[in-house]
Amino acid sequence: MTVTARHPLARSGLRTRLTLAFGVGGLLLATILAALTYGLTRSYLVRQREGAAIRAARSNAQAVAAGLRGGSPDVPAVLDALGSRTGSETLVLVGDAVFGSEVSTTLTRLPPAFLDRLRSGDAIRQRVDLGSTTYLAVGFPLSGGDTRYVEVFSLAELDRTLRTLSSVLVAAAAITTLGFGLLGFWVSRRVLTPLRDVAAAAGAIAEGRLDTRLDVGPDRDLQPLAGSFNAMADALQRRIERDARFAADVSHELRSPLTTLATSVGVLEANEEQLTDRPRQALRLLARELDRFVRLVEDLLEISRADASASLVLEEVSLDDLVHNAIVRSPYAEVPTALPEAGALVVRADRRRLERVLMNLLDNARSHAGGAVLVSVRRAGDAARLEVDDAGPGVAADERSRVFERFSRGRTGADRSRAGGVGLGLALVAEHVRSQGGRVWVEDRPGGGARFVVELPVVRA
Amino acid sequence: VTALTHATMTGMARVLLVEDDEGIRTSLRLALEQEQHTVMEAGSTEEGLELFTAHGADVVLVDLMLPGRDGFECARQLRQRSDVPVIMVTARSDTHDVVAALEAGADDYVTKPFATKELTARIRAVLRRARSAPPAHPVITVGELEIRPDEGVVKLRGDEVALTKTEFRLLCEMAAAPGRVFSRELLLENVWGYDYFGDGRLVDVHIRRLRSKVEPDPQQPRHVVTVRGLGYKIAP
Repeated sequence: MTVTARHPLARSGLRTRLTLAFGVGGLLLATILAALTYGLTRSYLVRQREGAAIRAARSNAQAVAAGLRGGSPDVPAVLDALGSRTGSETLVLVGDAVFGSEVSTTLTRLPPAFLDRLRSGDAIRQRVDLGSTTYLAVGFPLSGGDTRYVEVFSLAELDRTLRTLSSVLVAAAAITTLGFGLLGFWVSRRVLTPLRDVAAAAGAIAEGRLDTRLDVGPDRDLQPLAGSFNAMADALQRRIERDARFAADVSHELRSPLTTLATSVGVLEANEEQLTDRPRQALRLLARELDRFVRLVEDLLEISRADASASLVLEEVSLDDLVHNAIVRSPYAEVPTALPEAGALVVRADRRRLERVLMNLLDNARSHAGGAVLVSVRRAGDAARLEVDDAGPGVAADERSRVFERFSRGRTGADRSRAGGVGLGLALVAEHVRSQGGRVWVEDRPGGGARFVVELPVVRA
Repeated sequence: VTALTHATMTGMARVLLVEDDEGIRTSLRLALEQEQHTVMEAGSTEEGLELFTAHGADVVLVDLMLPGRDGFECARQLRQRSDVPVIMVTARSDTHDVVAALEAGADDYVTKPFATKELTARIRAVLRRARSAPPAHPVITVGELEIRPDEGVVKLRGDEVALTKTEFRLLCEMAAAPGRVFSRELLLENVWGYDYFGDGRLVDVHIRRLRSKVEPDPQQPRHVVTVRGLGYKIAP
């Protein structure tokens, strides 16, 4: 059973999603804050500027009105008396006549509606956008009949201020968004750390370190996860160990009766000449099958111990010496060997297991391919290679990984008794090589047959 | 001594079997009698020690898993009384059982189930070791060690050291050619007399036992030195 979560974004990964969510949240928050700040600041600044402009216009208008009341209505002179000011231009309308320093340019800035309303006697102010600049136009009727006073203020500076403000706010929003994104990234990392621990622990268990457990830790939200994971690992370990122990116990219990059987058959064999032909044949059958039985039990015990990761005795071993000594002491002493100079290749290995690997490969060659034709040891890069060649039918490409499985038989090995029948030899080879940090595979031997290759890392040349 | 001489002459031996499984005991008796050995049977450590004290034996076969006082205890007790060769019968070949059995004083071991000819080969080998004299050398001096193969005496700084026959032969074998590297296999062949039944741990444990007796500091051996990846040698 698998527990799945389907979501359009699910494919992009939890971390991306969290980072994205934080980023979008940050963007929204920053935008709202920036907009509010901009709006409030802008209306405050505009109010301030307009108030100042109106106050200035009013006091200028009063000065002009006072100047005009003095009898000689020399408007330009009165205007000159106001002095020159930057940022605003002044017009005085008397009837249809217009006076001012920059009459023509200033008039073009005023919309016709403004002048119409002014002439009708209203005091007005209006914002005027002209090109890239905004102006504020203020107009009053002066006390003397149809005289009007108009002052046009440039709001360029205010615009500049507001533009600066808006770019500062945009930058701040961008930084905030980025900051939130980073926060999301960091948070997702933090949140995912326990999940990564779980993944690492599960990986370790899968690799055979069954005693791997998660640190429960003080986090109350994570404790249930670690707790249930550990409970699962406990159950799994108990189960695997129970299975392995069962196989080991069964094999172990078989040892005593097998010893009695083997010894008794030995006694019978020593007296074979006293037997007639029929019981002698039966005895030979008994001896052969007993031998198979013994080997099966030994392999079974060995492989169940390999399962339980029984103590591996790793030491520096000269591979060529070990192979030489193992072969000359074995029933395979006549198998040709190609070995480098004595002591040339040193590997870290368990002597007993490595000898077992070699013997099982030689047994396998005898059972399935009429015997090994060459055992060679050589260096291949950083690895030491042990190769066992046979001239048999070879192993089909699709069978090559299956032959290392437990109780597997090649298609050709249908006759169990003739083939020696025990399907654990190569599985044991695979287990032992793996436990010593090496690799094993089977390939074609140049010239026909199979080549079983064991590769172990070299300690020193 | 008479029994031993008798056995030496004829190649037969008196074998004491300490084994609680009656089936194994009986079949082993049949097999050993077939080989012209005389067999005494004991079902427990106590019984075995009693028989040994009363009648002696040329070689003792001890099962590791005995009820009550186990095979380790039996081997230790036998070692205290005599340097009779002891072969331990273990159930597993890869565990610490083998090393522990050898350290308890066993000279060799077999793993159940074993072939009769393997056992008889081992019995012959331990008997040969126990009987034959080591190669004749007058006196060999190695560092603070003085070895007199002819007299069967080893002295460390002038004090005599008690070695078992296997340990003594191991030391003599290597001391005969100081500086030469002896592989485990060579030692198995020359000292234990095995062609292909041997197990390198036999050598390792006996070397360890030897060091505990002939080295002033067994943790930093100066006389019996390990040559990594190859074997052992006597430092010249």
